[in-house]
Amino acid sequence: MLLGIAIVMLLGLAVFVAAPLLSAQTSSGTLPVDVTPLGDLKRRRLVVYENLKDLEFEYQSGKIDRQDYESLKTNYLGEAAALMATTRQAEELKEKEAVIEREVTARRALRRQPRSPQYVCLKCGFENPVPVKFCGECGARIAGKS
Amino acid sequence: MIEVGSLALIGALAFALCAIIAGAVGGKLRSARVVKSAERATLAFAAMITVAVVALEYLILTDNFHAAYVAEHSNRDLQTFYKVAVLWSGQEGSLLFWTWLLAMYSALVVLLNRKKNRQLMPYVVAVLMGVGTFFSGITFFVANPFQELSLSSASGLRPFSPADGNGLNPLLQYHSMVIHPPMLYLGYVGMAVPFAFAMAALITRQLGDNWIRTTRRWTMVPWMLLGLGIILGGNWAYAVLGWGGYWGWDPVENASLLPWLSGTAFLHSVMIQEKRGMLKVWNVVLVITTFFLSIFGTFLTRSGIVSSVHAFAQSNIGPVFAVFLAIIVFFSLTLLFLRLDHLKSENKLDSVISRESGFLFNNWILLALVFAVLWGTLFPLISKAVQGQTVTVGAPFFNKTAIPMGLLLLFLTGAGPLLAWRKTSFQSLKRNFTVPLAVALVTGVVLFAAGVRHLYAWMTLFLSAFVAVCVLGEFWKGARTRMRTAGENFALAVYNLTMRNTRRYGGYVVHLGIVLLFIGFAGLAFKADIKGDMRPGDLLRVKDYLLRCDDLVSGETPNYEYVRALITVTKDGHAFTTMHPEKRFYKASQQPTSYVAIHPGLAEDLYVVLAGMDQDSGKAIVQAFVNPLVVWVWIGGFVVFLGTLLALVPSRVEREMATIRPGHEMAVQSDDVI
Repeated sequence: MLLGIAIVMLLGLAVFVAAPLLSAQTSSGTLPVDVTPLGDLKRRRLVVYENLKDLEFEYQSGKIDRQDYESLKTNYLGEAAALMATTRQAEELKEKEAVIEREVTARRALRRQPRSPQYVCLKCGFENPVPVKFCGECGARIAGKS
Repeated sequence: MIEVGSLALIGALAFALCAIIAGAVGGKLRSARVVKSAERATLAFAAMITVAVVALEYLILTDNFHAAYVAEHSNRDLQTFYKVAVLWSGQEGSLLFWTWLLAMYSALVVLLNRKKNRQLMPYVVAVLMGVGTFFSGITFFVANPFQELSLSSASGLRPFSPADGNGLNPLLQYHSMVIHPPMLYLGYVGMAVPFAFAMAALITRQLGDNWIRTTRRWTMVPWMLLGLGIILGGNWAYAVLGWGGYWGWDPVENASLLPWLSGTAFLHSVMIQEKRGMLKVWNVVLVITTFFLSIFGTFLTRSGIVSSVHAFAQSNIGPVFAVFLAIIVFFSLTLLFLRLDHLKSENKLDSVISRESGFLFNNWILLALVFAVLWGTLFPLISKAVQGQTVTVGAPFFNKTAIPMGLLLLFLTGAGPLLAWRKTSFQSLKRNFTVPLAVALVTGVVLFAAGVRHLYAWMTLFLSAFVAVCVLGEFWKGARTRMRTAGENFALAVYNLTMRNTRRYGGYVVHLGIVLLFIGFAGLAFKADIKGDMRPGDLLRVKDYLLRCDDLVSGETPNYEYVRALITVTKDGHAFTTMHPEKRFYKASQQPTSYVAIHPGLAEDLYVVLAGMDQDSGKAIVQAFVNPLVVWVWIGGFVVFLGTLLALVPSRVEREMATIRPGHEMAVQSDDVI
């Protein structure tokens, strides 16, 4: 009896394990990226800000000499400034990548639509992405519109 | 139930193998559904190992002596309380218990990381289940707790079930044995989790800030439990072994200390990586070392390669463990070597007098201590291999090496937090060290005047005063600043100060606990003992205590026979207490043991052992010890535990960091934090 329950449990667990692999939904996606360079930069910045706050507190509590405080503060601020500059560059890069990504997505979407033969230039063979009277590539009149 | 247990073990092994393959493949393909399958296989592994544990406990509690393990380690008249502990009292059961704890940790890791560390998780699961495969495999194939007893007869083997079992080792029939091994094991096993995260970070090359923070938190939990397990083990040895001490540098005691020491080194050096982006390779090495030493400790306890009062389970599993240890070293160091380019330091050491160098120094001493303890522990094996004869190094070797290093560490416990990050000028040093040093000097003079001449004890108490003032000074200075700037009262200021940076102030509480531990250790220098034969009416004096034997009574319980000495104690002529040490003889296992009588006190313990009976004279052989300051070891251990719990509470910054998600990285309120 108990052995039977154990066997059923084992089989149930086997199904539980295999279920994601056997799922009819084939594109359940790739693993999400949860650690990004920008995320790492943000963590580094938070650490530097925290170091600064600690420094300030230790100075106020009399643990650090004024000379040490000034010099360490300058160091930390320099570190924070460098990190902010790197972050800005990374942000700009990310924005550019986002723009490119949007364009690529839009073009892919258009490509997936059935292409009207009228949009294809008979002269140079260029596939105009939108309805036009003249070819965007060579300037020739599109045959379908004439 | 025996079949259920075996089936569960083989099922668990199959799920662990599935998890390794699905984890590795899912990670490589970055396929969410394959990884989901790997995680589910880990949960299934945990479920199956739980079934195996329940099956074995059922066999133990129902006195099913057809199961060889139960017949070997339990008996009918054993109290239910101790029957539960039979699970981890023998080789096979303790390996199953080890596997079960690993399964619980693994399941917890899977459940807590459903929405984070997604890139790391496939490999974390694969590594954890790699360890799980080893342990469930060894439990099934080499040390199976579900083996049945059988008798060979003319018609072949037939099932056999003895009327009663051999019983539990009498030394294990003590209340802290029900809690001490689980704590120790939770510590040992838990070190697999930081190792798995480290390996996953190396494999995925995600060696930024995220993995180190995750790894630190997952190290603190087993470190805390390992420490608690060590203290409880000391308490067990003190109360049961009857030699008047709690730490004898026994190989198995040393084995538990080693990963705790390297874990301590990691928990300090990890701060340098978090704060300054330095020591990245070193931290990975420490994580690997700690895990290696955890498995090594288990190996030492289980294999019987060195003799120990604690090695209750011995068999021929040594070679299998040795191969596994070799695989761990090869796999982890190869991976580390391949990723060296990703572990470059972001900063350099600015000054020799800085918090960073304090931590570095602490790391060197801790690692030197690890090496010294390891050397002394393995010396019997080394001498056998080199000289052909086994030479054992005793407590004097360990004391000679460990005490000076321990004192240096104690000094750093107080001095480290007084140093500023990056660099500390002479002015700052003077400002911070003057008061603690002055108090320590006054303490030293008072101790000397009071007659303390033992050098190490004097230095320990001198440094304890120094560290205590340093640590309490940190709370005082911080609270005073908050009272001035935020207008808070003292209690609120201390509370807010602590909660704002739980890790730092939790760490300070841990340091206070370490001070109390060292004060307890210092007491060893002043212990006194006496041994004498007593019959009713006889007297025995130890220091200020006069022991009078009132009676010797004998009797029996279903589990054991006993002789009990009824002793009245007077101190300085005044009635003090009565004590009842026993000599027991356990029926099932046919083994004698002493039941120590202890009268604990904040200043000293009176510890009385009935060592045996002189058969010729009929007198009881009584040994009495006065053990000063022992109670501070237990209190210190508890304070370390509390401090670590406090440090585990996420601070504001940690909570903020945990919210960082892809696409929302830029929400830093820099004005707010500067």
